[in-house]
Amino acid sequence: MQKDISISVNKIDNYEKISGCAKYVNDVQIEGALYAKTFRSPIISGEIVSITVPKLPDGYFAVDYRDVPGKNGVKIIKDDMPIFAEKILRYFGEPILLIVGPQKSVVQSLINKIILETKLIEPIYDESNIAINYHYEKGNPQNAFSSANRIFEYTYQTGYQEQAYIEPQGMIGYSEGDKITLIGSIQCPYYVKNAVLLALGCSSEQVRIIQPAVGGAFGGKEEFPSLMGCQLAVAINKIHKPIRLIYEREEDIEVTTKRHPAIIRMKAAVDSDNSLVAISSDIRLDGGAYLGLSNVVLSRAMIATTGAYTIPNVDCSGIVYLTNTVPNGAFRGFGAPQIFYAVEMFLNHIAKDLGIDPLDFKMKHLAKQGDLTSTSGTFRDPILMNDLIKRALEISDYRRKSQKYKLENQLRGMGISLFFHGCGFTGSGEATIIKAQVKLHKDEQDNVDILIAAVDMGQGVRTTMSKIVAHTLGIPMDKVRFPYPDTDFVPDSGPTVASRTTMIVGGLVAKAAQKMHDRWQNGVADTVIEQYVQPDYIVWDEATFHGDAYPAYSWGVNIVDVSVDKVTNQVTLEEAWSVYDLGKAIDDLVIKGQAEGGITQGFAYGYLENMEVKNGKVRQKNMTDYIIPTALDTTKITTELIDNPHAGGPYGAKGAGELTLIGGAPAVAMAIENAIFRRVHNIPVTPESIMELIEYGNR
Amino acid sequence: MVKHIIPDTLSEALKYLYQGDFQVFAGGTDLMVQNRSWSETSIEFTKNMLYCFNLQELKGITAIDGRIEIGAMTPLETIMNHPDVPSLLSEAIGEMASPAIRHIATLAGNIGNASPAGDSLPVLILYDAWVELRNMAGFRMILLKDLIIGPRKTVMHPEEMIVKIVIPKHRFDFERFVKVGGRKADAISKVSFAGAVDIEDGKIADLRLTFGAVGKTVVRNETVEGAWIGMTISELKNGIWRLIDMYDPLILPIDDQRSNKHYRKTVAINLLRDFVDQL
Amino acid sequence: MAIVKFTLNHQPVTVQSDLNRRLLDVIRNDFNLKGLKEGCGEGECGACAVLINHEIVNSCLFVLANVEGKEVITIEEFAKTKRFTVIKEAFAKMGAVQCGFCTPGMVIATESLLHKNPHPTEMEIKVALSGNLCRCTGYNMIVEAIQEAAKAGEGLW
Repeated sequence: MQKDISISVNKIDNYEKISGCAKYVNDVQIEGALYAKTFRSPIISGEIVSITVPKLPDGYFAVDYRDVPGKNGVKIIKDDMPIFAEKILRYFGEPILLIVGPQKSVVQSLINKIILETKLIEPIYDESNIAINYHYEKGNPQNAFSSANRIFEYTYQTGYQEQAYIEPQGMIGYSEGDKITLIGSIQCPYYVKNAVLLALGCSSEQVRIIQPAVGGAFGGKEEFPSLMGCQLAVAINKIHKPIRLIYEREEDIEVTTKRHPAIIRMKAAVDSDNSLVAISSDIRLDGGAYLGLSNVVLSRAMIATTGAYTIPNVDCSGIVYLTNTVPNGAFRGFGAPQIFYAVEMFLNHIAKDLGIDPLDFKMKHLAKQGDLTSTSGTFRDPILMNDLIKRALEISDYRRKSQKYKLENQLRGMGISLFFHGCGFTGSGEATIIKAQVKLHKDEQDNVDILIAAVDMGQGVRTTMSKIVAHTLGIPMDKVRFPYPDTDFVPDSGPTVASRTTMIVGGLVAKAAQKMHDRWQNGVADTVIEQYVQPDYIVWDEATFHGDAYPAYSWGVNIVDVSVDKVTNQVTLEEAWSVYDLGKAIDDLVIKGQAEGGITQGFAYGYLENMEVKNGKVRQKNMTDYIIPTALDTTKITTELIDNPHAGGPYGAKGAGELTLIGGAPAVAMAIENAIFRRVHNIPVTPESIMELIEYGNR
Repeated sequence: MVKHIIPDTLSEALKYLYQGDFQVFAGGTDLMVQNRSWSETSIEFTKNMLYCFNLQELKGITAIDGRIEIGAMTPLETIMNHPDVPSLLSEAIGEMASPAIRHIATLAGNIGNASPAGDSLPVLILYDAWVELRNMAGFRMILLKDLIIGPRKTVMHPEEMIVKIVIPKHRFDFERFVKVGGRKADAISKVSFAGAVDIEDGKIADLRLTFGAVGKTVVRNETVEGAWIGMTISELKNGIWRLIDMYDPLILPIDDQRSNKHYRKTVAINLLRDFVDQL
Repeated sequence: MAIVKFTLNHQPVTVQSDLNRRLLDVIRNDFNLKGLKEGCGEGECGACAVLINHEIVNSCLFVLANVEGKEVITIEEFAKTKRFTVIKEAFAKMGAVQCGFCTPGMVIATESLLHKNPHPTEMEIKVALSGNLCRCTGYNMIVEAIQEAAKAGEGLW
């Protein structure tokens, strides 16, 4: 009998990483490479009147928008962000040109001597520049509100969050003839490739993207590297020499994308038996200076507006407004952390207003198999939330502790969050936009290569994919190889985002392996290509937000016990518990790592990580001032899984990477609220804000 | 062109200082960050640098005649683990940065940097620590409290350097240090507090209170402290309102990217109150 | 330009260079040892950690002038030791590695700790790691790995 796939194995890149042998982009040596540095906008909003670049010594170059042979726009969705600013400067730090040359000190001094004359334009920080406006409904919310017994309305605010991957962004590249190769710290090799194709206006064979080891990404290396890739490709196209473009931490924090700050207004209609009959929500995301992926982030937030609950009537609107601040973008969770924070707090606040137990109130409304989703699709798979909650309550002793802390009144509190994450691209994106393709190749020694564009940025994809193949083929792990993605050799299996890699790409890999298995002949080379086919039950209308937004959902419960220091109002996480349904773990230890790392980021988003943009500039612009947790800030975390295999995923696996972050902030915010006996509406709940809440209350 | 000198002896170092415009470099962990330039390029110091790593005279800790003398080039981690070093100072050092920095950084550097948030300063000032400054002509002893006069400002002359920190040896009956940072380790203080009390025959014989990161320099006021000498602990506890009133005008924090005035002030007062409560 | 002599991975070495360079750059560029990483350049993240006279230091804050006569060990050399093998197996077993960018620094922190304190408590381990940031794991699995290494390597430290 074959053993359970979930049993952990030694990750295939453990040794190279522990010993320091793994090559990250900045470790890659290329003979004769030049250094590039970005000259950036010193103003927040304005127009370029003139740029005077000092006389460049031999071998030094300036590269700007005039050197872009194709379109001066980074291919993301609307391509609205220029590769290099032409005339209008929309945020502090916006790239204007690159100075490239053999000596860093000379490059730097040339940058320092550039004279930029600008005309200031009044910056916009408010909602006056609305770029996206979405709306959808389910049922008949107007009726439900007009006949409601009671109506509740609260507003929630979330702040910025910086991905703070430990390896800063970086890319290096070179040319061979008319072909340009880029090696970068990236999540999505084909995003970079397609962006470069548009920028250079060249043919597909002329651009090659290679991924080295990636030192963390969390969404921060989803779309941003496309900008760097375009700049570097344009520079290489002009200079025909290898070039390095590696950011330092401060530059990285100041100019790369962050999690969108959000203001979420929620309104609910409750009938006489305390049932939620309607929710109306208004989600407002600050996109920063360019749209980027913001409309997709907004969609994901809007679709989850009823949280883990079934509510018959929904009225949901959302906007993305543009401001003269650093563009915001992808970050693990992608809109879900904001909306789940708001929904979880909202139901908790309604229950408190009604004088009933918040958890009972939530459980009464939990989504069940067969229910209609917020977008009138169907929850097709079994939903095990009741089991998840029951187990989480048991292992945390939640009910008894909650009661005890309430009576003791010693600034100690328990918090709980219930949440899901839709796996894969929203709606029919997998079929219409991504069209994933995977390839397995077996050589005559029966070694099998996995040829996909999925990036291992720490989440263990190289191990889990290898495991799926080895398991399906019934061969040892060391007969399976997963080379780092290289667009010259791997098909476009899509970006490494949206909790799609294990379920969608892994599913295709498993199918391909099964095909290979079924026609296996020892010593004979074989290649199998597998293409994504959307399940025919998925019907999605993007214009009306109607139908099945996701093929499957992963679910979770987080519980946290916190104490608040009465003298300093600092928060200590005392212990945390999680129970997840992510279908089936391909590797228990990999999932434990995702669970502990995700919840740590989620908690920190809720109470620790504070970033403000003041007058268009990031105030916490280094690792000293942008506080992320250290080993001493974390707590004991117990994680359990309940299997609930999904037919569309390999061995039943669903998405796991993002889910584990989403419940952290609402759980910790609620625990703090219960500890201080003041309602929390805004995160992060810093000691400064706790002090204000204690002193002034919040009504 | 900036000069870079690694003198072998203190007198050689002092000679360079006398010649002028040298920045003394102890562990350098602050200077390296403050002057950092593009990765992989040489650090662009704006002054001539005097690296003091070879000055054996400035290394080590000695306990003599009721005082502890800490050489200016002794790393923080060594100080922290030394049995003769007052426990409150060890505790404060233990909350500074991280082991990887404490193995390089020095107490003299923390003093010379004169940051209002310097974590060792409230404790050293509470202990009435002295600093020995040297120049070519000789030396002078100055109370640390009088050495630092503002953010990054000291009364040191350009030709002087810190050679040792002298701490009167004393064990208080009750003492406490609290650092409030943005997280539980490896953080810059938002506020810090140190307090100590001696009691003789049921009366307060000595009371010392210092506050860090709530003003241009560490806040300590001997007149306020002196007002409570001779009183009992319960008189101090009953007088907490008056004590707070005395410190209220002295605690003048700022808003910055790490915290705000209101929080800093309130926590400083809370720490004072809590200290008295715990007596 | 000056000449600085020190011991790098047990080999006496001489560097002719500006004194005002970061040890990080000297090791990575002059000696092509890329196991130590630059994560922040300001002593916060610990990815650039090396052992100097057997203690962990941030090489991004360590000026070349200070390395004269000292003994520097990087992850590349430490990776040849028995202690490393124990740490490696413990890190693998407990799932302490994700993106791996902080990992060499974490290993250096582990060695610096166990060298002084072969039987650390959980709190002592967390203090020892407090200058090494990890964004992937949430730290517990690293702490468990160090506990495991201390146990499995009994007698090695």
